[in-house]
Amino acid sequence: MTALAEQRPALAPSGGPAPTRPSVWARLTRIDKVGVAFVLPSAVAVLGLLIYPVLSSVYYSLTDQNLLRPSHDLVWLENFRQLVTSDAFWNAFATSIRWTAASIVGQLAVGMVLALCLDKVRRLQGLYRVLLIVPWAFPPIVIAFGWKWILNDVYGVLPNLLTRLGLTDSNVSLLANPTTVFWTVLAINVWFGAPLFMVNILSALKTIPREQYEAATMDGANAWQQFSFITLRNIRNVIGLLVILRTIWVFNNFDLLFLLTGGGPGEMTTTLPIFAYRTGWGLHQLGMASAVTVLLLVFLLVASRVAFAVLSRWEKEDR
Amino acid sequence: MSTARLTKSGAGALRHVVLAVASIAFVFPLAWIILSSVKTGAELANNPLDVLPDEFTLANYRRVLEDLGFLQNLRNSVLIAVVATAVTIVLSTLAAYGIVRFFPRFGQRLTRVLIATYMFPPILLAVPYAAIMVKLGLINTYAGLILAYLSFALPYAIWMLVGFYQTVPLEIEEGAQMDGAGKVRIFWQIATPIVLPGIVATAVYTFINTFNEFLYALLFINSTDRMPVAVALYSLTGSEVLDWGAMMAASVLVVVPSVLFFMSIQKYIAGGLAEGSVK
Repeated sequence: MTALAEQRPALAPSGGPAPTRPSVWARLTRIDKVGVAFVLPSAVAVLGLLIYPVLSSVYYSLTDQNLLRPSHDLVWLENFRQLVTSDAFWNAFATSIRWTAASIVGQLAVGMVLALCLDKVRRLQGLYRVLLIVPWAFPPIVIAFGWKWILNDVYGVLPNLLTRLGLTDSNVSLLANPTTVFWTVLAINVWFGAPLFMVNILSALKTIPREQYEAATMDGANAWQQFSFITLRNIRNVIGLLVILRTIWVFNNFDLLFLLTGGGPGEMTTTLPIFAYRTGWGLHQLGMASAVTVLLLVFLLVASRVAFAVLSRWEKEDR
Repeated sequence: MSTARLTKSGAGALRHVVLAVASIAFVFPLAWIILSSVKTGAELANNPLDVLPDEFTLANYRRVLEDLGFLQNLRNSVLIAVVATAVTIVLSTLAAYGIVRFFPRFGQRLTRVLIATYMFPPILLAVPYAAIMVKLGLINTYAGLILAYLSFALPYAIWMLVGFYQTVPLEIEEGAQMDGAGKVRIFWQIATPIVLPGIVATAVYTFINTFNEFLYALLFINSTDRMPVAVALYSLTGSEVLDWGAMMAASVLVVVPSVLFFMSIQKYIAGGLAEGSVK
């Protein structure tokens, strides 16, 4: 685990390529004991609550561990073999990718437009900011039930409104219909995630020096050129980091989809976390569920490695 | 008025239109939940398009709190969130200060490490936690759930607080050291009061996150009287006829504290992300 590897040198500095390497004992006694006392409880907690469970997940993924029985046998790569040959797994993987990519693009686009508008607006800016941040504060459970109520095909305000306006013949059930369910949950997720993009992009916009725009105007740059060469260029690091963090979050998120659709109808919205939940708690196959989550983590580690490489190249270019 | 000025004011008006429409769309669900929670069952069923309630009623709230025992669930949630937050803040202030003052080189790498733990899917940790808790008899206990919550609360709190402690000027601490103050005293009496607003923001954030958590609560708590609100609300959907009025009243009870808390600290969280992590 990278986390573990990176943590060690700090707790017991290895000294690096010093010309005269002091003995292990000398190096250990040089460490500030008060400092260790400050950091130790958290280090133990992180090891016990994060590192150990991750390692044991890797171990469980090689076993036939079951939720209902304590003992297990090593089956080595059997779980993984079954997963990569199962359509249900690849369906969940594809759904995860589609759901995450579409959500992030939507959240970024809406967040960006709102931030650009807010940045230029003087009157009412404070009021807009407060109102536009509201969805972000919603717990997933309330988002899910609030929207399920609004979208309810008998009593919900939206289907009734659509029918009243003549847009639909009779009330539609947007969350239960296979052709509309994806777009509906996507819209809800964009609504939920856009404020975070907006707030962060807005604070990044405030850091751009005004002189850059003045100079560009004198050189005759049009609005689009100013946006792409000055605005985007200045905030791309913030956007890149936001996209990485939120991609991880959306990819790993369980609550919102589970509460809105339960992964259905059928398996239309079954993402990898929901697939893992069904395997572990529906079918009691903890070993198999571990294999799913380990693949999930490996995928994220590889994807974010690539993303961070791009980000650090941007940072170098900026210097 | 010149054409340039006309386009300019046109753009300004367009911005206001975009922001006003978005504000309404963003606030609408919350407003609708609150409005629905004070309508009678008959009105909810017969006039779904009514914006304002014909007859204002608190019956939904009474039903949630008295008949469904939601008060006990609220108590559970508050207890769990308060203890998890207290433990998180104690451990993370110590760790953050220790990292900033005693292991500064470590601090530079910390962002990466904590983002790496952010990558751990909650469902990944849930599987081994389930196995461990079954073994230790922690299923259906507050303690088990609080431990599970530390897994996501602690890294984030340390990350935020490292940023705050880094803003404390070293000269102030050196001055106190010359006056003979010990390291623990400098931490407690000099550095911590300076970053207190940051600690409060971190605590509020941790509280909201643990108060609202759903997955671990769903998996590790199964008796109704120990359930936090999120799972209690979810379990209401299991009943045969869904009582939407009661559901909306319960939703208001859950969401309003979060919304108020969140608004009070939003600038700390956003600032922390934009400034602290890009470095």
